[in-house]
Amino acid sequence: MSEMKLTIGYDGYEEGKKMQEMLEELANSPAAKELTSLIIGDWGGSYENDSSEIVETLVRLNGAFPQLRKLFIGDMDGEECEVSWILQSNLAPLLTAYPELLSLTIKGSSQLELEPARHEKLEELVIICGGLNADVITSISGGHFPSLKKLELYLGVDDYGFDGDLETVRPLMETGKFPALTYLGLKNSEIQDEIAIALAQAPILDQLHTLDLSMGTLTDKGAEALLGSDKVQKLQFLNLSHHYLSDGMMKRIEQSGLHADISEQQDSEDEDYRYPVLTE
Amino acid sequence: MERMIVIGNPENRRTASLQRARERVGLPPAVVVPYLDLLRNHISLTEAAEQGGMLDGIPPLLRLDAPGENFDVERELIALGAPDAARDEGDDRLLPFGGRDDPQPMSVRAASALMEQRGRLYHPSQWFRGYGRLLARLEREAGAIWPTAGWLNAPRDIAGMFDKRSTHNVLKAAGVSVPRRLASPEALPDYDALYDTMRDARLHRIFLKLAVGSGACGVVAYQINPHSGAELATTTLAFDSFISKPPQFYNVLKLRRYTDRAVIRPIVNWLLKHGAHAEQWVAKAAYGDRTFDIRQLVVGGEACHSIARVSRTPITNLHLRSERMSMEELSLPQLVQENMRKCAEAALAAYPSSSVAGIDVLIGKDLRQPPSVVDVNPFGDLLYNVAYQGMDAYEWQMRRLGSGRRDIAR
Repeated sequence: MSEMKLTIGYDGYEEGKKMQEMLEELANSPAAKELTSLIIGDWGGSYENDSSEIVETLVRLNGAFPQLRKLFIGDMDGEECEVSWILQSNLAPLLTAYPELLSLTIKGSSQLELEPARHEKLEELVIICGGLNADVITSISGGHFPSLKKLELYLGVDDYGFDGDLETVRPLMETGKFPALTYLGLKNSEIQDEIAIALAQAPILDQLHTLDLSMGTLTDKGAEALLGSDKVQKLQFLNLSHHYLSDGMMKRIEQSGLHADISEQQDSEDEDYRYPVLTE
Repeated sequence: MERMIVIGNPENRRTASLQRARERVGLPPAVVVPYLDLLRNHISLTEAAEQGGMLDGIPPLLRLDAPGENFDVERELIALGAPDAARDEGDDRLLPFGGRDDPQPMSVRAASALMEQRGRLYHPSQWFRGYGRLLARLEREAGAIWPTAGWLNAPRDIAGMFDKRSTHNVLKAAGVSVPRRLASPEALPDYDALYDTMRDARLHRIFLKLAVGSGACGVVAYQINPHSGAELATTTLAFDSFISKPPQFYNVLKLRRYTDRAVIRPIVNWLLKHGAHAEQWVAKAAYGDRTFDIRQLVVGGEACHSIARVSRTPITNLHLRSERMSMEELSLPQLVQENMRKCAEAALAAYPSSSVAGIDVLIGKDLRQPPSVVDVNPFGDLLYNVAYQGMDAYEWQMRRLGSGRRDIAR
C-alpha cells in the first residue's frame, strides 16, 4: 500500500509548475509501479483551470500505475480554494481508463460531469461539494456500478449547484441499481428531511449496514419517519451528526436502541437559518 | 523589576493577572496608572511616580498595557485624536502614517458625545492617532523624570507594532519572513484600485486588515475569481446604511460571507480609508479538517508560551470561537517548531527597544517553507491557561526579566 499526494501551491503555480508534468514524473519513477493510492490536491489555480488536463494525463498514463486502486481528484481545503470554485470536468474517462480502480473521491462540483458512469469493480464513490448538480446525480443513478459498496454524495444547496429536488435523488434509493451497496450517504443536504422521509421505508435499506444523513438540515420531521421504520431499526449504523433535532427527539433516538450518531446538534429555531455544513 | 509602573485599565484582568504574578514572585505590587485618569488629566505620570515614591532617581520599570475593553478610554482617545484636540508639537511623531488624513474626522465635542454601542467601530484611525499622541506624551514625560527610563516596550515600538503597515515594513527590513504585500498603502486608495491590483498581480486571495485593528477586528479574507468574476469576503465586519449619514461599521460574533460587490465595496473602502494592510493569503497548514496559526510569546529575546488557534474558518483568532491547541497536541515536527520559535524571536528582535510581544506566526501548507509572521502584538501576553516551565506568562516575565536590568531591552 503506497499513497502519494500531488499538490501545487500558489508559488509553484505562479512559477509555472504543472500538474501534468508532476504526473509524468511520477509515472516515470520507480514508485509508480507500487502506487495504490493517488491524491490530486490543488492543481494550481484550481479556480481558473479545470481538471480536464489532469484527467487526460491520467488516462494517457494509465499503464504506468498498475496497482492504482484509490483516486482522489481535488483534495484541497478552503485555505487553497473555495470548494464551490474548484473547476472540475468530466471525470468518467478515469473510470474507463482504470478498470481496476476501487475507490474514487471527487471534491468540487463546478463543471463536474460523470458520463458515462460505468465501472465493473468500483466499490466506493464519494463526491464532496457544496451543491451537486442534477445531471451528475442522474448519471450515477442511471449508471452501471455492480460492485459499488459505498456511495456518499454531498447534495448541498441550490446556491452552490444543487439544482435538483427529491425526485432527482429518489432513483438512488431504488433497489437493483447498486446490488452490492451497503453504505448510502445522501448528506449535507438542504432537503435532508425529505430525503429521510423518502428513505425511511425504502427497500434498499434492507441491504445497507450504514445510512449517512449527516451534515444536513435534518429536523424532528425527518427523524420521526426514521424512528418509525423497522428497516431503520435494523441498520448497523445511522449517521445523523450535525442536525437540527430537538432535545426531546434526541432523547427518543437514544432510547430507541438505534446505533445513531446524533452529535453536533445545531441550535437554530429559525427555519431560514438552517444550513448544511458545507455550503460554499 | 523591583519597582514597576503599569499604565493600563485597572479593572482589566491583565492588570489583575500581573499583580497576582508579582505577589507570587515576592515583588511589591506595581503602581497602576489608569489610562482614563491620564486622559482626563486627573493624574500625570510624574504625580503617580511621586505618590509611589519613585522620584528618588532610581528609574522604575515602565509597562504599557492594552488600552482596550474600556469604552470611556476609547472615547477619550478618539477625542485626543481629533483635529481640534489640544496638543503639543511633535505629538504625532510616533505615528508611522501620521501624515495621512483621517477620514471624516470627529471634533473633540463629537467624540466626547459618543455613546457605547456593542461591537461598533467608532473611528479606528482617529482612535489610533489619539493613542499615538498619548504614547508620545508619556515617552516625553518619562524621559524628563528618568533620563534612562526603562520601558518594557518603548512607546515608539508599541505604535509601530500596532500599525500593521509599519510592522510589515519593519519585519521585512529586518529580514523576517512575512507574507507578500499586495501593494503599498498609497497604491490602494479604494476598492477599484485593490481589485485591479489583485487581478493584475494575480494575487487573487488576500487578507485585508485594518492597520490598527487587534484580533479579528477589521480583518477580511478576500478573494476574487478570475474565471467567473465572483468575489468573496469573509469577515466579522458589518455595517448599517443610513440616508442622512455615513454607514456605521461594527463587528459581529459570527463570521459573514459576502459575495455581493455592493456590500464588499463599502467595507473595503472603509478599511482602506482608515488605513489597511493588504497581504497574500498564505494557505495555512491543517490539523484534520481545520487550519491553524500560532501565537508565540517572546520575552527578553526568548520564545516561551505558545498556543495554536485552530479553526474551520480562514480567520483563526482567540476572540472568535476558535479552538486552542498546544504544540504537543498539534504534533508538529521538531524542526518546524524550532523554526517557528526562531521566526518569532527574530520578529521581536526587529524592535530592539521592546522585551515582550505576542507574535502571530503562520505555518504554510508546505511545512518545508519557512514560517512567516502575520502580526506583532505588543500586548500579546494575555494567554489563558498556558504555561511555560510551569509558569503563566506574567510570572514568567517577572522572573525572566527580573534578574537585574541586563535582560531588558534598552
